[in-house]
Amino acid sequence: MRVWICGMFFMFFAFSSTAALAADTIGHIQTIKGTATVIRGNLTLQATTGTALNSGDLIRTGKPGAVGIVMTDDTTISLGPNSEFSLQEYAFNPKEGKFSLVARITKGTFVYLSGLIAKLAPNAVQLIIPDATIAVRGTKLLVEVQQ
Amino acid sequence: MHSILIKLPALSLVLFLLAGCAPKHSIILVSDPDGHIGKAEVATPAGTQLLEKQGDMTQVSGPSKAPSPVTIADQNFIAVTFADAMAVEPLPPEKFILFFETGKTALAAQSQGTIATIVAVIKQRKAIKIAISGHTDSAGSAQLNDKLAQERAEMVKDLLIRNGINPDLMTVSSHGKGNPLVPTPDCVAEPRNRRVEVIVR
Repeated sequence: MRVWICGMFFMFFAFSSTAALAADTIGHIQTIKGTATVIRGNLTLQATTGTALNSGDLIRTGKPGAVGIVMTDDTTISLGPNSEFSLQEYAFNPKEGKFSLVARITKGTFVYLSGLIAKLAPNAVQLIIPDATIAVRGTKLLVEVQQ
Repeated sequence: MHSILIKLPALSLVLFLLAGCAPKHSIILVSDPDGHIGKAEVATPAGTQLLEKQGDMTQVSGPSKAPSPVTIADQNFIAVTFADAMAVEPLPPEKFILFFETGKTALAAQSQGTIATIVAVIKQRKAIKIAISGHTDSAGSAQLNDKLAQERAEMVKDLLIRNGINPDLMTVSSHGKGNPLVPTPDCVAEPRNRRVEVIVR
């Protein structure tokens, strides 16, 4: 009779390094109109279709400008013109049960559509706006932050 | 003296009007494309509001006030305010599921035609990202399962490359048992969870 070992041993395999190469990328820009920039530390990148996004990135749209972003868990985030948000925290690692999405919206218009993180970890999504926090348990949210 | 008496009420009226023009943030809950509605809880230091029905809206105007009582957002307000953001909303991705012969990296009979379909969709959508993930069920040895899931995902990537798809568009990962198709308790065999998913964006 076989004894099933269920996840009692966690071993690090060399082949998982292929995932490590893309580990910094948490999403990408899928659609874009007008201009948008991605600010990453000292770097300022012009956003285009396919631009990869990292945790901590600040995304700013111009006027005109609008971007549609897809995260690795299929959360989609769309911004209208003259808008700005940063990906404060993001984790999507089902193998290790790590899920988190914290976005900080500083201005503009924002459409959020939940993905797998919200399904697999309903308490893991938070949107921060000036003066308030929003705990999101699915599904689709429209947020306008005025200045 | 007389002029100050006139100016004071005028000044307080102006201040009152200005206070009404403080920035207001709006949060509106709407259903997803499948018609499902979730929840959102908006909190300031002074209070919270729960959004739970289609169109529920609350507004925030400062940390010292609770979010406003929930009303139903005006459709026109939504259309005008969010038009540009909605115009760039990404299309939903297309997801494909592949099954394999037990314990092997060979595709199961029912999945053999799926590769051609995936290739056609990638080309038709001019897809820019393809996420390939290996999945296991919660039975058996985690490390053996994960290794097989990863191998299967890599094999699918190779098949797509051989069909002319650019490898730079693809990422391969293993989700282990953490993202099941059919949720089960731990240590339960479920063949439908032992799969590779290809998500085309």
